[in-house]
Amino acid sequence: MMRQSKLIGTLAVLPSFIIVAGFMAFPIIFVLFISLTKTNGLTFEWLWFKNYLELFADPIVHEVFLNNFKFVISVPLVIFAALVSAVLLFEQFKGWKFFRVIFFLPSVLSVVVIGLIFKNAFGYYGSVNQFLGLFGNEPKQFFINSNYSIFIIILALVWSGFGYQSLLLLAGLTSINPAVFEAAAIDGAGWWRRLWSITLPNIRRVLGFVFIINFIYTFSSLFGFIFVITAGGPLYETTTIDYLVYLRAFSSSNLGSGAALAVVLYFFIGLLTLWQSRVFKLQMED
Amino acid sequence: MSDSSISSRLSPRARWPIFIGMCLVAATIIYPLFFVVATSLRSNVDYKRDPFGIPKEWTFDNYLKLWNEYGVGRAFMNSLFVSLTAVTLILVFATLAGYALAKLPVFGAKFFTTTFVSVMLIPGPVLIIPIYLVLARLGMVGDYSGLILVYVATGLPFAIFFSTLSFRAIPDELLEAARVDGAGFFRTYWSIVRPLGTSAIATLAVLQFLGTWNELIYSLILIQDSKMKLLTPTLASIGKRFLTDQPLTSAGLFITAMVPLLMLTFASKYIMRGLQVGLGR
Repeated sequence: MMRQSKLIGTLAVLPSFIIVAGFMAFPIIFVLFISLTKTNGLTFEWLWFKNYLELFADPIVHEVFLNNFKFVISVPLVIFAALVSAVLLFEQFKGWKFFRVIFFLPSVLSVVVIGLIFKNAFGYYGSVNQFLGLFGNEPKQFFINSNYSIFIIILALVWSGFGYQSLLLLAGLTSINPAVFEAAAIDGAGWWRRLWSITLPNIRRVLGFVFIINFIYTFSSLFGFIFVITAGGPLYETTTIDYLVYLRAFSSSNLGSGAALAVVLYFFIGLLTLWQSRVFKLQMED
Repeated sequence: MSDSSISSRLSPRARWPIFIGMCLVAATIIYPLFFVVATSLRSNVDYKRDPFGIPKEWTFDNYLKLWNEYGVGRAFMNSLFVSLTAVTLILVFATLAGYALAKLPVFGAKFFTTTFVSVMLIPGPVLIIPIYLVLARLGMVGDYSGLILVYVATGLPFAIFFSTLSFRAIPDELLEAARVDGAGFFRTYWSIVRPLGTSAIATLAVLQFLGTWNELIYSLILIQDSKMKLLTPTLASIGKRFLTDQPLTSAGLFITAMVPLLMLTFASKYIMRGLQVGLGR
């Protein structure tokens, strides 16, 4: 009886396992293999670490890595905006639930939609230029200058990201024992004092978590924004690593080089994750 | 809210500035979306004459043109088909696995759980090349089957994690009673786990649907045939082609955003709940 039900249980997990193993676990091993070869997808020529050596010597890769670090500016901005709105939402003033949903709204939209909203707004005929025109300014081509482009993408990241992050922080705030606040209020601690000595220290773990997921996000998930807003240009000035993986994979004859870049990204993010658990001593929920 | 907890918060008078500040922040989110909708309902000439003004006349031309001539209608249907199929498959596989891992003895349960949790940490861009090559080898590139399979595979780990967690709350006594009454695996799954897990399943359905509906990179690289293209790549190429026709692009934006916005309106409860659990993702 026991043995039979154990068999049924295993069979129920098996379809999922096969799909996940075939299309997530196996590809991770496969990408390691691809990265050590020169390939067009049909024939594989074993190269050992040549792709990696070429990558490390490639000035474009250096530039692109640096670009990613420019996007890291978005991390403190998103977190600051999220923190302010979480702390204020936590006051639970009238209608706070409504605001929570509004702030969250951009998070359900596709990056294509968000990207195009910003591309349109800052386009030559866009609303920003029209608005500046009201004060007699000539329309500007924002996207020919990579500094403007990066600024616009960061703005898009903050606009679309802070609502979700503030939900996470709000969940952290809600889990603080209210008695702590009451005790502090009775002791005469003012609102700012409570914010500084109780609220912030109590959510530092959630803050750390949010910090690291945002950091990882800027290294792994900007593809959609870049693809829609700048296509990586001018030249490689706004290209990020994940966008370069895509470029190398589908517009060059050697998939191995793109795969090597993907592997480097994988290890880099792996290190970040390790760092997360070290520095912030976070426990993932099991 | 009880009185005692209010005393530790701001006084009602101090709340007014906060309320107004929040209204301003909300406006920075609502206004761009409102602007998109308003722009989409006017002609390009009218828009260029006075972008911020009140349109002289309202028109649905942009929507009709996009839907009928630029393939957005077809892409919308394609996206709907792919998303619904992928979500259905994810729900079936994930609830079966989740039920088994939460309530039944499973050979190597720990191994399965570890696999599902560890693949959740894989960043997306790492997988595109190997998945593309695997699908090419299987002859599934350019075909919905390959795309759906990728969506199912990338959605499953979180879905299993989430349903395992939710199904643990089902009382063992109920399952035991069903077993004593002679109910088999599928009967218990269908008559006890499914109804008791409805809220978790609805949450999963909404989250996974949003994920597949909004997905860009796999729908871009796996589907080349213009008749089979999904909505997000179609919209992206329209955005690139019609740089100077903002009303037209705006209509496309609204068509794509409409579905997630409707879901947020009617299922915000599920979305919020799911994201709290999804914290570990």
